[in-house]
Amino acid sequence: MQTIPQAPFHNLHALWFQLTGTLCNLACSHCFISCSPTNHALKFVAPETVYRYLDEAETHGVREVYFTGGEPFLHKQIIPILARSLQAAATSVLTNGTLITPTVADELAALATTSRYSLEMRISLDDVDEARNDAVRGKGALRRALRALRLLQERGLPPIVAVTEYFYEAPETTPQEPGSGSGFYQKFRDFLLENGIEKPRLKVIPVFAMGKLHPSETGAAYVTPGMMHGFDVTTLQCTKSRIVADGGVYACPLLVGEPEARLSENSLSEAMQPCSLYHTACHTCYVTGMTCSNY
Amino acid sequence: MVYRRIAVFGGVYSNYRALAATIEDARRHQAEALFCLGDLGGFGPCPDRVYPLLREAGVQVMRGNYDVSLADGLTDCGCGYTDPRDNYYAALSYEYTFRHTSEENKHWLRTLPDVLRVQVGSYRLHMCHGSPRQVNEFLWESTTPDGFLSKLCGDYEADVLLCTHTGIKWHRRLPDDRHAVNVGVIGRPENDGETHVWYTLLTAAPDLQVAFIPVYYDYEALARDMRQEQLPEAFVETIRSGWWTTCLEVLPGKERACGRW
Ligand code: SF4
Ligand code: SF4
Repeated sequence: MQTIPQAPFHNLHALWFQLTGTLCNLACSHCFISCSPTNHALKFVAPETVYRYLDEAETHGVREVYFTGGEPFLHKQIIPILARSLQAAATSVLTNGTLITPTVADELAALATTSRYSLEMRISLDDVDEARNDAVRGKGALRRALRALRLLQERGLPPIVAVTEYFYEAPETTPQEPGSGSGFYQKFRDFLLENGIEKPRLKVIPVFAMGKLHPSETGAAYVTPGMMHGFDVTTLQCTKSRIVADGGVYACPLLVGEPEARLSENSLSEAMQPCSLYHTACHTCYVTGMTCSNY
Repeated sequence: MVYRRIAVFGGVYSNYRALAATIEDARRHQAEALFCLGDLGGFGPCPDRVYPLLREAGVQVMRGNYDVSLADGLTDCGCGYTDPRDNYYAALSYEYTFRHTSEENKHWLRTLPDVLRVQVGSYRLHMCHGSPRQVNEFLWESTTPDGFLSKLCGDYEADVLLCTHTGIKWHRRLPDDRHAVNVGVIGRPENDGETHVWYTLLTAAPDLQVAFIPVYYDYEALARDMRQEQLPEAFVETIRSGWWTTCLEVLPGKERACGRW
């Protein structure tokens, strides 16, 4: 039996909140935590809990705060929560964008312009083709996400578009010359420009074989102790971030709700300890160098 | 060493014309010493031209990520971009700079420190390239919280933190008369539609005064040099328009909203 490698904890660069647990107004076929309108497995995080952890994070010199779900805009207190978070640090919301109405966009713009720190809206898409996108994300999802992108742009908040490599075709082995590339990245850039999004910002995320895409055990790969030799462990986001969710503080946004990844029931400081790289997702992080944060 | 007034700049990016103008201007402002926070190459033309200027003026230079890459013969600049479009341009200029930097200058880079510490009046200064904890960490004004900066001041026993790397200057007053300053860069304009570049003067009067000084230089001549060296037209456009056209994907929302692209 092999020992499971560990990732040391370096510093609290980012603090995450799985604000709305596993509840989402969509039910994407690839969702890595199987969110849906009826999945109550992980519950909402209360505003008081968010504030308590933000206070603690500030003493540790946190640089960025992220809110995810589920769909964070299902949380009725989202605006005051963002206001408090922006007093501490730059804040990002990972959203499907479908609930960003003109009124919500106005509120976000008001927050963003009065804050010293950046407020980022990161909106998920899977394809530039409506039928293909909506086959994964549900009918009308592309149209509603585009509406959100436009509403935010019109208010001076250039949104980030997050794309999983679910429909990824050919690997982009060499960097693409702008305008001449036909790759995955270029396709989304062109699509956003064509739709009037003048400052296209893209975040490409590898697909994780978990949640609704969980592989059969035989196909699973793990990080082994031998793989840790000469490996720059700081490329793993679990060395510099933690996530607060229903049940406590977990190692990373990917393993939220997993008992083995829970590092503390109620204390951020206690959770700033090494974590175990036990999951197949750790293998994906190891291979791709992927991070859930914006850059 | 304790100074009364110093000049600090970052990101030369081979802009030898702006460097010459900066040195002259800092002398006119009676700076007792000049400091460069790294990234001598990249972006601009004829990288070897900045080295004699720095040495003759006695500028105290530390290394940035670009200098570390050149000195160690690495295959990329280590700027930390994730976007393939940014990486395309980054690779192009790194390859050009690597090819046109002499062995002697690469060797000199190897001898430079990664941190500089001096005193201005009663203030202890910690100079780094990106952040004190990571050479290529981006400290943008809109993503660098007070709590984080205060913690760094404590961790590194400094009253003033100085950094560069992002290309856009800012100054933050922290509690207990501590300060954090991103000194900006002299290699390219700062994405505001103006063609000049910036350096920073720090004066103990005896309270710390931080002044950002604009440097006007012959950017049209630099643009001609760049075209002669067949550097990308997108880079030339930035020099002539004052708007960034590349490496935009690392900009946070607030900074991105201020630019044209
Ligand atoms: S929008 Fe996001 S959280 Fe909701 S189901 Fe889709 S992938 Fe999951
Ligand atoms: S999934 Fe990735 S970020 Fe999470 S614990 Fe494993 S290696 Fe770390």
